[in-house]
Amino acid sequence: MSLVKDYMIRTMNSVTPDDSIRKAIILMYRSEQSVLPVVDHQNQFVGTIYSNNILKNIIPESFGFLDSSRLFYEVNEAVENLKYVKDENVEKYMARNRDAVKENSDMKKIADIMLNNKESLLFVINDEGFLRGFIERSNLLHYLLDEAENHSK
Amino acid sequence: MITTVTLNPAIDREYFVEKNEVMKNQFIYNEEDLKIYPGGKGLISAINFKELGYSDVQNIGFVGGKQGLFFEKMVQKHDIISNYIYTESEIRNNVKIIGKDPATYTQYNDYTFEVEKEEVDELIVRFKRSISESDCILIAGSVPEGVDFDIYQRLIKIAKGKDKHVFLQASGEALKLALESEPDVVAPYFKHHKTILDMEMEEKKDYIKAGKKMQEMGAKRVMIPFHCDRILFDKNGDVYQLSPKGYCIINWLGASDAYNTAYLDYAFKTDRFDFIEANLRGGAAALWIAENKEVYLNERKDYNDCLDRLEVNKLEV
Repeated sequence: MSLVKDYMIRTMNSVTPDDSIRKAIILMYRSEQSVLPVVDHQNQFVGTIYSNNILKNIIPESFGFLDSSRLFYEVNEAVENLKYVKDENVEKYMARNRDAVKENSDMKKIADIMLNNKESLLFVINDEGFLRGFIERSNLLHYLLDEAENHSK
Repeated sequence: MITTVTLNPAIDREYFVEKNEVMKNQFIYNEEDLKIYPGGKGLISAINFKELGYSDVQNIGFVGGKQGLFFEKMVQKHDIISNYIYTESEIRNNVKIIGKDPATYTQYNDYTFEVEKEEVDELIVRFKRSISESDCILIAGSVPEGVDFDIYQRLIKIAKGKDKHVFLQASGEALKLALESEPDVVAPYFKHHKTILDMEMEEKKDYIKAGKKMQEMGAKRVMIPFHCDRILFDKNGDVYQLSPKGYCIINWLGASDAYNTAYLDYAFKTDRFDFIEANLRGGAAALWIAENKEVYLNERKDYNDCLDRLEVNKLEV
């Protein structure tokens, strides 16, 4: 049986609910991750902060339907909004979901979760709820490729 | 969970050439003549711990720029949990050129990496929350530009405040200041000058004086490299000399990290800790690395075979 810990990416890259949105944005672009886990002060997973959520809160209403004539105006407004939002806490914009998977879970279960919802990335925790890293669709594909090649042998 | 701290990591690049000549283009076609690996004290020990079978090992520190992300990928490939503060400045690259005939070794050490104050503050915050699962913290290596020399003192104080066991391998001013926070084990190393606590190290008595001084300043146990030996200072005041016998050194890289790993591995596995036994394991691991081309440990059995070539003598001081 293949486990999540055989395919996951091990990293503690994370923010806490009382970190600022500015800090989360800097971490996102420096680590090239648009989704970050949110942990408490003991490193227990408590939720997720999505770059999309931040964007939705600074580009009002028409996010996703910007036409070019309004783009300049919308971007300026987003910049103005971000001046306020950047100092607010991650807590206000995070998703308090508990959709993390355990490092000892079966990879088949991950395939189910990823294929049945829109999550392209799932955070991985240990049995005590401490953050261990993440697993994404490319890791799932890696697992499926291994399975396919093992079957054909 | 074992936590290792590497504040000043580097991408180490080794180029093996037939003859290292200036003003000459060299072409490398064989994969074995080019080695690229993540370097830094602390990190090598982390890799060793993984090789010895520890499930959760994290490495905390700074990495910078796009090359920092490449470095992190290399670390993750060893199944180590990366726990890095990403800096604006690019990570260091150390270039080593090894000529085969005649045997030459040329090293270009990159000291351009620089850390901002905000990044140091973030490291402190991250360290506080990341050690909650660890009983032991291994802090090793140099301090990058932009980080104050009291950084180890601050990290050790946080760890000791949470009842963690701290092993420190450091040099210079960072070492001197760190002693105030009373680390459990200290292994100083020489960087640019052969000094410890600003004292020149020439004869054995200088090393003994430095070891005693470090204990007075807060270290509980000290192990100082003394040529190919180690001088050991137990917490009850006893001093010993650990010496290898009948050895042939072909590689220094990774030897001190192997020492630290095997010392701690013994400490983790035993209910009745014995300082001499721990150092014998450390010495055996260092000897195994020094006599092989390996940088990382493989199995305990490899280095345990070196145990009978080590001797420990108590010194009268």
